[in-house]
Amino acid sequence: MTLSIDALKTKFRNPGPVELELMARYAMLPESGQRERAFSAFAETGLPHRRMEAWKWTDFKAAISAVEAPASANHAPTLPSEQDAVIEFAGTQVSLPDALPKGIKLHSREDAQAFGNAEEVPLGAMTAALAGRVGGLDTLIIEVTEPTDAPVHIVTRSDRDETNFARVAVIVRPGASLDLIESHLGGAGFSSFLIEIGMQDAGHVRRTVLQRGNADEAQAVTAIVNLGDKSDYTQTALAFGAQVARLETRVKHQESGSHATLNGAYLCADGYHADFTSHVRHGAPSSGTRQITKGAVLDGGTGVFQGKFHVPRTVGQYTDADMQHQALLLEDGAVVFAKPELEIYADDVECAHGNTSGALDPNQLFYMRQRGIPEQQARALLTEAFVAEALEEASESVREALLEAARGFLVERV
Amino acid sequence: MRPMLKLDDLSATVGEEEEAKTILNGLSLDVPAGEVHAIMGPNGAGKSTLSYVLTGRDGYDVTDGTATLEGADILDMDPEERAAKGLFLSFQYPVEIPGVPVMTFVRTAMNAQRKLRGEEEISAPDFIKNSREVGKQLNLSTEMLKRPVNVGFSGGEKKRLEIFQMMMLEPRFAILDETDSGLDIDALRTVADGVNALRSPDRGMLVITHYQRLLDHIKPDKVHVLAKGKIIKTGGPELAHRLEAEGYDGVLGEAA
Repeated sequence: MTLSIDALKTKFRNPGPVELELMARYAMLPESGQRERAFSAFAETGLPHRRMEAWKWTDFKAAISAVEAPASANHAPTLPSEQDAVIEFAGTQVSLPDALPKGIKLHSREDAQAFGNAEEVPLGAMTAALAGRVGGLDTLIIEVTEPTDAPVHIVTRSDRDETNFARVAVIVRPGASLDLIESHLGGAGFSSFLIEIGMQDAGHVRRTVLQRGNADEAQAVTAIVNLGDKSDYTQTALAFGAQVARLETRVKHQESGSHATLNGAYLCADGYHADFTSHVRHGAPSSGTRQITKGAVLDGGTGVFQGKFHVPRTVGQYTDADMQHQALLLEDGAVVFAKPELEIYADDVECAHGNTSGALDPNQLFYMRQRGIPEQQARALLTEAFVAEALEEASESVREALLEAARGFLVERV
Repeated sequence: MRPMLKLDDLSATVGEEEEAKTILNGLSLDVPAGEVHAIMGPNGAGKSTLSYVLTGRDGYDVTDGTATLEGADILDMDPEERAAKGLFLSFQYPVEIPGVPVMTFVRTAMNAQRKLRGEEEISAPDFIKNSREVGKQLNLSTEMLKRPVNVGFSGGEKKRLEIFQMMMLEPRFAILDETDSGLDIDALRTVADGVNALRSPDRGMLVITHYQRLLDHIKPDKVHVLAKGKIIKTGGPELAHRLEAEGYDGVLGEAA
């Protein structure tokens, strides 16, 4: 029961040229019920656009007018990875490491995999449907069977391709741990990366993400994370944005005593847009979440923070959650949109959120200048110190590199 | 006597054009190299304004007069240029800089000043050695010097940290704005010892204070009384004691 192109056309309400192109690509892939379900979910919305509540500040449909390669290559460096097992997705190629740390196995699936949350995340559904046929596999599965120290590094970076769609699933077995590094460097007109992480009892994952695209690219990095009993997930992301870039994370506390840390920082120059969106469901008692997002935006740049904690009535009891978003508007013309949401139905919980935006403190600037630090350097130093808090939980192997990337940007641009 | 800081008929306002308020009103002052002068005065006399005008804080407009440091007009310089020229202000209310450790901050400042003066950067080992020695003199532990600037510091620790920065940066001219406020007797002595250690024939200092207490520890060469934006009386250290005994009203009534 494959959907014909005609049937698809009626499914999309008003397909634009990009959706028609994606439809054509879908039609060329082998038939699969899983793929069809994912693509149907994507077709419900098409490319997300500003008339959808969750996308009102980040309009992919408006940003991507055609499926085409970007004008220039992206030269941003990946996070350091000399010692790591590196998995790199580039356009239609995937390269896999020769050796893997003990306790980590790679499996590739040649058929499409189910994607549970497809209808909630349109670009995740799209990626689930269209990723694949790269190097003969649809989904790469990383299975972690014991505690591991050596990082696994995923790179998505194209060399002026039209698209780069990739999908990875991570299974963390009981008591196992993974240090996961990701560098998403665009290079394609439209890049979308989907990662699903399933953590079993007492599993640990530390995920550290760098996103850096060009000003004529659209980039989506979507993570779906399910937390088992007493598991611990720590995420740190640094985003420089792209024409539009969205880092979306959906976390489910599925069993009691699990803990999630979701930190991130965005630094947006003129013409760059970075969106941090997260949804955390405290679907089991005594689960905890800590979230710190910091941003600094220059004239012509746009930062978006949308965070939601959902605490259901019975299962969400004894939730302990805190969400903080703080933005610096470094210049007139900088734009930040923020929507922190706590949706709480349980009655014995501790949930807090804070949301601020403002300029650098003139008292601090004067104090620094009085000591001889030139204004521009003082601004860069204050901004770096401001965002650094959100990067403290990054993997030790790349924390200094993340700070260095932020510092380099600030010294040059601020 | 070699001139150091020289203010001539300095007038300044604070606030936007129409609501601008005159705070300094024809202030003249001459602090030669090697001397320490004190400025005392009642609340609202313009003492802190003077320190901000001299260091170039935004929001103050110099409407008349001149200010030179070793012959150079400082009023047209950015705050950081004045600092590189050797002007240091110990703040009445030191500012917290979250996320920037003291050591990083001071080293950045020192190297920025050196760069503006066309000098070489200080080496990391030299810097660490110096900062340990100076920290020891001021009872600032190595652990404290690793903490963010002024964050979580007590009032007295903040003032000691100001003096630490002064001793590290070795300015040509230092303004101490109410450095005694918030200090207990021991801390006052520590701070005064630090300041006295910096007294030198090549350096000038201006100590702004409400009380004569600090001046028992830092003996000034001259004491000036600032009121209504100008110096209305100048004398030796004994003037500070008279102010303490008779109050500003007593002394100012006589001057008026």
